[in-house]
Amino acid sequence: MGKVIIIGAGPAGLSAAITIAEKGLDVLVIDEYMVGGGRLLGQLYEEPNGNWWNGIKESKSLVERAKNAGVEIQLHTPVSNIERIDDEWVIYTESEVHYTSHLLLATGAAETPLPIPGWTLPGVMSVGAAQVMTNVQRVKPGNRGVIVGVNVLSSAIAMELKIANIDVACITLPKMNIPTEKSADPMEVMNSLLHVSHMAPSAFVKLGSKLMTNDFMKRMGITFFPKNGVKMWDIPIMLRKAVVEIYGDGKVEGVKIATISPSGEVVAGTEENISADFVCIAGGLYPLAELAAVAGCPFYHIEELGGYVPLHNEQMQTPVEGLYVAGNITGIEGAKVAISQGVTAGLAIANDVLGGGLESNIQQAIADIETTRDNAYIQFHPEVKEGKRKLQQYWEEHQNKSVAITL
Amino acid sequence: MTDNKMIICRCEEVTYGELVETAEKFGCTPRELKLRTRAGMGYCGGRTCRSAVDSIALAATERDISEITLKYQPPIRPVSFGKLGDVTK
Ligand SMILES: Cc1cc2nc3c(=O)[nH]c(=O)nc-3n(C[C@H](O)[C@H](O)[C@H](O)COP(=O)(O)OP(=O)(O)OC[C@H]3O[C@@H](n4cnc5c(N)ncnc54)[C@H](O)[C@@H]3O)c2cc1C
Repeated sequence: MGKVIIIGAGPAGLSAAITIAEKGLDVLVIDEYMVGGGRLLGQLYEEPNGNWWNGIKESKSLVERAKNAGVEIQLHTPVSNIERIDDEWVIYTESEVHYTSHLLLATGAAETPLPIPGWTLPGVMSVGAAQVMTNVQRVKPGNRGVIVGVNVLSSAIAMELKIANIDVACITLPKMNIPTEKSADPMEVMNSLLHVSHMAPSAFVKLGSKLMTNDFMKRMGITFFPKNGVKMWDIPIMLRKAVVEIYGDGKVEGVKIATISPSGEVVAGTEENISADFVCIAGGLYPLAELAAVAGCPFYHIEELGGYVPLHNEQMQTPVEGLYVAGNITGIEGAKVAISQGVTAGLAIANDVLGGGLESNIQQAIADIETTRDNAYIQFHPEVKEGKRKLQQYWEEHQNKSVAITL
Repeated sequence: MTDNKMIICRCEEVTYGELVETAEKFGCTPRELKLRTRAGMGYCGGRTCRSAVDSIALAATERDISEITLKYQPPIRPVSFGKLGDVTK
């Protein structure tokens, strides 16, 4: 019996690997980064119950458990292509080619950039890059930053920068253009913030979420939103200002911000400069599905899941033989959901390799994903469950179509 | 600096203005916009500009929800020429 191969050593890939190895099968995990843990590595926040979620610690313990279970982890190894030849998956890396009957893609998510004038200057980075520098590599991205893009991820990372003693001048919106449209619309941003208000120890935001349950109140909220922002962890969050340009001679020296109308238009004559030596761009996350795409898996665009996701069923199995997916590749959610999905995919794979016997464990694991999702502290999209429902429907349509073809 | 002069595709140095103008003139799908301007066709494989190119084209055309708008092509990570031709079982 060959070994199961998993691409991605994030929480999804590692928990799948542990699950499979504990069933007595050989597992190889391949990851291009130099440490295991994926995007879990950068995470650091306090949960409502007072516990700290420390991504480095969680990653170490997953890697440790995987190694103890006999999982082989190969780091520094980008996978550049996969293809199905005869009845096997062929996995191409720079130095080696691997073969397996069961392949799990757990490649996570990527960040959407927001192009604003000056965004190509050195010192401009994605907010995730600032997170990795600060929490994983322990290097300050700069002394004083501006975060462009107001969302769950940028507010979480702003707090992490704060803990690391890095000054964040403000979190504000990008100037509106076609690619930034949604992130630049104060009303839209306000809406998406309201469901994460439990994360904000700010009386205003907490109170606001109770008051602003109808559209009228929301519009009032935006119209009267203080121009200088509302402070969260002492960092002004400005929904009525936007960065119109990042300036600097050869590197970031600051940003030019302006007041914007409730619908996002710049109010002429309100521009002012804020000095900064780095700028973080936070445009949100989308599932990183390159490998599923080159493998020929069908895809559907589901806004609530963050973009195009590979078609799969509840057991994390795609319609392509021997190909499974788990974690953020299936939709943007927190690390705990990724872990539960990894366990489910691991059980589904083990069940298939061993010829059955794990059906009830799989049902339990599927139910666990639901519970984890319901209790998730971080939720990237308020309608993620609706997204999952759509996906299930696409899956059923696809199954019916395939049945029709075989008949 | 204006939006029009802003670089969207860094590898091929394609500006926002060029992309918007082309998309409007030809009513391009994302793929057509890429082929006309070379945005996303440089050595990074469109890793940075993909979503921007997509949204500019989709401002005027309908998204096909069952097909990734800008196709991924292997190799999806850089591979040296020597290694690329050197695969044996
Ligand atoms: C920048 C960023 C910050 C985030 N911050 C938070 C946060 O604060 N809290 C939170 O709950 N969630 C956060 N998330 C969401 C995060 O994606 C999930 O919490 C969780 O890490 C997803 O787990 P995963 O296993 O699906 O993917 P990941 O943790 O992303 O792991 C995927 C792994 O696959 C590897 N990989 C991808 N492609 C290849 C390839 N071709 N070849 C080899 N290896 C490959 C990557 O190197 C990576 O290690 C963040 C995501 C991003 C992108």
